[in-house]
Amino acid sequence: MSEPFEPKIIAFVCTYCTYAGADLAGTSRLKYAPNVRIIRLPCTGRISPMFILKALQKGADGVLVSGCHPGDCHFTHGNYHARRRWMVFRALLDFIGIPPERVKYSWISAAEGVKFAEFINSVTEDIRKLGPFEQYSQLIGDTQAPASL
Amino acid sequence: MSIEQQYQARAKELLSGGAVKMVIGYGKGTTGNRRRPIFISSPDDVGRLVLDDSCIINLSGYLVSEGLLSDEKRVAVFLRPEGIRAINILAAESQLDADQIVIFGFDVNDNELRALKGIHVEEFADVIGSIRENNPGFADKELLEKIEKMTAQERFAFWQEEFAKCIKCYACRQACPMCYCRRCIVDSNQPQWVNTSSHSLGNFEWNIVRAFHLSGRCVECGNCDRACPVNIPLRLINHKMAVEVLGAFDHVAGMSKTQEPVLASFKKDDSETFIL
Amino acid sequence: MTKILLIDKLDNCVERWKAAGITVIGPVHRANISVYAAVEHASEFDFGLVLPDRSIKELFFPQTEPMLRYAIKKDTIDTIECMPPSGPRIIFGSRACDASGMAIDDPLFGWDYKDTYWFQRRNESVIVTIACIKADDFCMCTSLNMEPDSTKGSDVLLRPLENGKGWLVEELTDRGQEAFTQIAEFLQESADAPAQTAVVEKKFDLEASVAWLQKPENFDSRFWKEISMRCIGCASCTYLCPTCHCFDIQDEGDTYSGVRRKNWDSCSFALFTMHTSGHNPRSTQSARWRQRIMHKFNYFPGKFSVNSCSGCGRCSRQCPVDMGITETLQEISKLSL
Repeated sequence: MSEPFEPKIIAFVCTYCTYAGADLAGTSRLKYAPNVRIIRLPCTGRISPMFILKALQKGADGVLVSGCHPGDCHFTHGNYHARRRWMVFRALLDFIGIPPERVKYSWISAAEGVKFAEFINSVTEDIRKLGPFEQYSQLIGDTQAPASL
Repeated sequence: MSIEQQYQARAKELLSGGAVKMVIGYGKGTTGNRRRPIFISSPDDVGRLVLDDSCIINLSGYLVSEGLLSDEKRVAVFLRPEGIRAINILAAESQLDADQIVIFGFDVNDNELRALKGIHVEEFADVIGSIRENNPGFADKELLEKIEKMTAQERFAFWQEEFAKCIKCYACRQACPMCYCRRCIVDSNQPQWVNTSSHSLGNFEWNIVRAFHLSGRCVECGNCDRACPVNIPLRLINHKMAVEVLGAFDHVAGMSKTQEPVLASFKKDDSETFIL
Repeated sequence: MTKILLIDKLDNCVERWKAAGITVIGPVHRANISVYAAVEHASEFDFGLVLPDRSIKELFFPQTEPMLRYAIKKDTIDTIECMPPSGPRIIFGSRACDASGMAIDDPLFGWDYKDTYWFQRRNESVIVTIACIKADDFCMCTSLNMEPDSTKGSDVLLRPLENGKGWLVEELTDRGQEAFTQIAEFLQESADAPAQTAVVEKKFDLEASVAWLQKPENFDSRFWKEISMRCIGCASCTYLCPTCHCFDIQDEGDTYSGVRRKNWDSCSFALFTMHTSGHNPRSTQSARWRQRIMHKFNYFPGKFSVNSCSGCGRCSRQCPVDMGITETLQEISKLSL
């Protein structure tokens, strides 16, 4: 029997809302899928689309991006800028053939520990169903960079 | 008097009186229907200027050449409506002072050349406003529809084949008036966001980054597409993104010199349905 | 009576060569461009092209290739050397300019250090050149003292027959002879006449241009700025050029492992000469264009006694702003009168 597929997911989150939400999930002893590696940033406005590409370049099967709800940004409007960027970037990725299911966006506040856990679980399940991102893995394989020697 | 002669006369007048220091226009090229950019600084040389329906290259990118406008003198340039929109964007993004640019406007409809009236960019508002209503675009609509109907997997395969041809000569970037960064993100290596190598991953990433950086900024002049030595349908991606930006933000790039860049601005009620 | 190869028999030849384990490569169309690429059948070839969009160079010197893989361990660094895929190849339907371009680069790649990547591929390839019977406005081999049927760099030269049904065969090297011995049964004797080779007009005075370039005072001539003002600094001329050979070595990977790759690089890029300090000795596009011309017609011949240009004309043909070697040397020819 081969091992069941465990997706590798990278989450880019803002420190003021979603990261605090993740903390709340932790202190509330909520269980959620261990497939997500969280990268904390000061604001969603700091999350460049390059980060998403980099995650895919390094072999992520899925990427999550999350921050404060509109109106709640610690820096007043970083998330409004991020929202526009995501709207455009998502359309571009879709047109290029990177399925929108692999790159997910959400607003999760510091009070939403439950939402955080549920979001991680549902996205992990969705990507598990999609399977490994084979088309991208093939591109990575073409670079002939060794995973390990 | 033909438009070419009128514009030659105007160029002569502007150069002789010192109203502009240079006229950037088109000259004869290597073969019959090729036109090349030329730079006229002396009134005696205006006879070299050519204007006909083969004048296609968008010349606006030359205006942001290092040092050209730093003496605050005026420069004249031959521009189609797309080029005029490019001036608006460059001005809106603080890359040039639009008052320094004297425009020799022209357009070609049904193979017929016509002059566009005006000197400074704001005087062409009507002409470029009509683009908003009826964007001609240059994209291959049939191919666009075909791609839109594909599954994600098929689209990926389609673009992978196209990008596989890329040799990373960066002609698309260099030919684009909007790609004015002194140091492009692919030329930065701390961190190295995009692989430098022209393998399939590096090519794929470069083409995504290029398209993203032009979203909401591209005027669809087609410079990238014509410059690409391996015929990647670049303008198709740009056109698709222009359509997306119009639908999402009611934004057409380059409508005025004070227009806010679409990805450097926002509305509180920007509406989307995918953020969970 | 001479040996001829009929087009009708070419598919038999391709099959025979393939059966002998030889990869057969030639001018084909792939995704909206023309390139030299491997084929299954002779029907894929397009011999009607003046020449393919992309040059033959990439068969010997690809745009990117791995040199070694590395892993950094606690006390050691492990490396595994990568060599190009090996195996005999026949490049059928090269042009004289492309084939001679490879011969021009041989001394460069074999100069102080013998480039194993280049020479492995060179030694495993037989180049079968078809003499041109048509040319376009950009072809300029004759200006470089070559001809549409020059044999430099080729192992076999084929001359199209006047009746269009095949080619006269001239075996030039032992390797070429060996490749054609394998298909001897598909060749025949004939007295058919070859077609007229293409007439390529001489576009500039090479000797006068070179003499001008060699004069030290012309290095700082105003000419360079004027001729290159419209250059946008892309690398399409250098990347499509069969003889341009500059490359960069890049490591790709993370902290502990990665791959070292050899990538095309171009003197057209500002980054090509950029120092870590930020200083750039070739700070303007005119200095970069001057370098390209000087390298091809002054420095390279100074070292290897041959111009680094085979006259294919791709630089001018593909230039987004209609520049190129032809125009530059034409203007220099005028200056040196």
